Amino acid sequence: MDILQILLNGIVLGSLYACIAIGFSLVWGVLNIINMLHGSFIILGGYLTFFAWQYSGMNPVVILPIIAIILFGLGYGLQYFFINKVVMAPVLTTLTLTFGLDMILYNLMTVLFTATPRRVTLDLGTLSVGDLYLPIDRLLGMGLALLLTAILFLVMRASKIGRAIVAVRMDRQAATLMGIRVNHVYAITFGIGALMAGAAGAIFSMVFPITTNLTGTFLGKAFVICVIGGLGSVPGALIGGIALGMIESIAGYTIGPQNATTVGFVLMLILLVVRPTGIAGVKGYE
Amino acid sequence: MNMTLKNGLKVAGLTFGLAMASAVTPAVAADDVLVIGAPLALTGGLADEGKKQQDVWKLWLDKINAAGGIDVDGKKMQVKFVEYDYQTDGKRAGQLAEKLITDDNVDVLMAPFGSGHTKIIAAVAERYQVPMLACVASSTSVYDQGFKYLFGTLAPNTGMTESMVEFFKAQKPDLKTVAIYGRDDVFPKSMASALAASAESGGLDVVYNELYAVGTMDHSAAVSAIKSANPDWVYMTGYTQDLILGRKQLSDMGVTSPIITMVTGPAYREFTEGLGELADGVTSSTWWHHSTAYTDAVGPWSTTASFYADFTAAYKSDPDYVHASCAAAADVLVSAVQAAGSKDKQAVRDALAATDILTFYGPIDFGDNGMNQGREMPIIQVQGDAIKVLYPESIKNADLKMID
Repeated sequence: MDILQILLNGIVLGSLYACIAIGFSLVWGVLNIINMLHGSFIILGGYLTFFAWQYSGMNPVVILPIIAIILFGLGYGLQYFFINKVVMAPVLTTLTLTFGLDMILYNLMTVLFTATPRRVTLDLGTLSVGDLYLPIDRLLGMGLALLLTAILFLVMRASKIGRAIVAVRMDRQAATLMGIRVNHVYAITFGIGALMAGAAGAIFSMVFPITTNLTGTFLGKAFVICVIGGLGSVPGALIGGIALGMIESIAGYTIGPQNATTVGFVLMLILLVVRPTGIAGVKGYE
Repeated sequence: MNMTLKNGLKVAGLTFGLAMASAVTPAVAADDVLVIGAPLALTGGLADEGKKQQDVWKLWLDKINAAGGIDVDGKKMQVKFVEYDYQTDGKRAGQLAEKLITDDNVDVLMAPFGSGHTKIIAAVAERYQVPMLACVASSTSVYDQGFKYLFGTLAPNTGMTESMVEFFKAQKPDLKTVAIYGRDDVFPKSMASALAASAESGGLDVVYNELYAVGTMDHSAAVSAIKSANPDWVYMTGYTQDLILGRKQLSDMGVTSPIITMVTGPAYREFTEGLGELADGVTSSTWWHHSTAYTDAVGPWSTTASFYADFTAAYKSDPDYVHASCAAAADVLVSAVQAAGSKDKQAVRDALAATDILTFYGPIDFGDNGMNQGREMPIIQVQGDAIKVLYPESIKNADLKMID
């Protein structure tokens, strides 16, 4: 029975990991920007949810769309007014800019909210089937990750803005000639990345203690998941997240929790050598 | 307003010149000012703990200033703190400690939070022969390096674990098995290994004993293994965010051990706030709790109650052992400067070594390795909304409650 529990733990954890990585993968894949702000966006979403819950008593699931819209606005503004100025520069330039912006946001949050860990103590209980235990808040996170992935997949495939994003990624000049407002599309894409991070933060506020200390950890996970899952494909983040969750869960049980995170990084290194596009990535995006 | 490139360069050059001029001016402290240097983790992973140190030293300094300074050899001496943020980066902490000594000419150093970073700064202080007080480092490995200028107000970890094993065995005679799960970091790791040694020598069977890496976001694999081992007692060490997550996952996965200890979770208010009802019943050992009641102490606070009252009035929250130990370290320093009659580094070092005083935080008496030997540390438990002291007998205010 233990092995079933371990596999279930891995799938649920992996779905939460996918929540972290979807927005990061989109921004990296489409804009070619390694968004160092991503971890802070998740924590900001978590803090906003926590304070909204603390002062109004509203359920995080209800607050989630509002938080997501706020983060979208923030992401859109940052891209439109700052990152767009250097978006055509080499990747190191945009990385440095987002790193600087992250330092500002991170320190602002530390000053305003302190680094004290906070959690929405709305324990939803556990679903138990025989000897198997599944925490409901994690299941909710898993459902949300799947839903977000499905929505983003549909948006990218079937909506006008989705096609515009893909078109800009494929050929910026041609897209401009077709009348697509490229700066606007870039800002929307970055906004969607921030929206996904905010939504993940809202769900995480029930599962993990939210503290600015975790921004680097979230960013590191997003990076590993994108390399494992592959860039340029929406399901890539989901596949990468679940793969990492399963690997960490199995490794944690078999070779000890001390080495579980290392195994994820080793896998990333191997994939970088043998399959740079990741498990489900599109060629040309690596 | 449009500024030409040439004008911009002139302004930049002038600004840079002024900055350099102020940077190269040697900072020489006057004899009547005691300058304390403190590299603090105000941002990064230990930002919360660094802020605690900064807060309590501000409160302490306000008290000292309100009294017009400290009395040394019949004269008033002012006290000043010079603090830098080392961003929770150990290497930077070492560099800033060196800057504090060479550029800012501090008379004494206060160590930052944690045994790991204290170890780094202690080496710098020793090299320059500057006395250093460590208020949040309890691993004996920090003190067993033969350093002469390092003094710590916390007591050794091992004392905590031995008394805890004995106490729980006495309270629950059928206690047989323990699962130990610790963060792979200096203090949590040393507590986990100390407990394993104490449990084995106390006749308990250690059924699970693993460490988790710094940055672990999920404990479900370990919790599943602990559940299979079905221990009577779960002992977890780590920082607050790890412990909140760990306790929640123990509950989520249906672990039903009657004793759950999380070091040093319940010593922090954010632990109980982050867990709500799940915190109920969790035990811990700690170096200090505000329910301890010392009186006739030296320093600006003569009783534990007066420190508690001032702190809660200033910060609207309860102080924990970090606040208390760091304020007490400042008291010890003042006491040593007064005993030395000056701020001469060697004289202050010798006076520190001879310290044997009672502060609001408890007795402080440094042993040969510089660690505080004079303390019997409390075992505490969350019971409802309150933190109760279970041990030692002299300050106990409740009995151990098993978790249902």
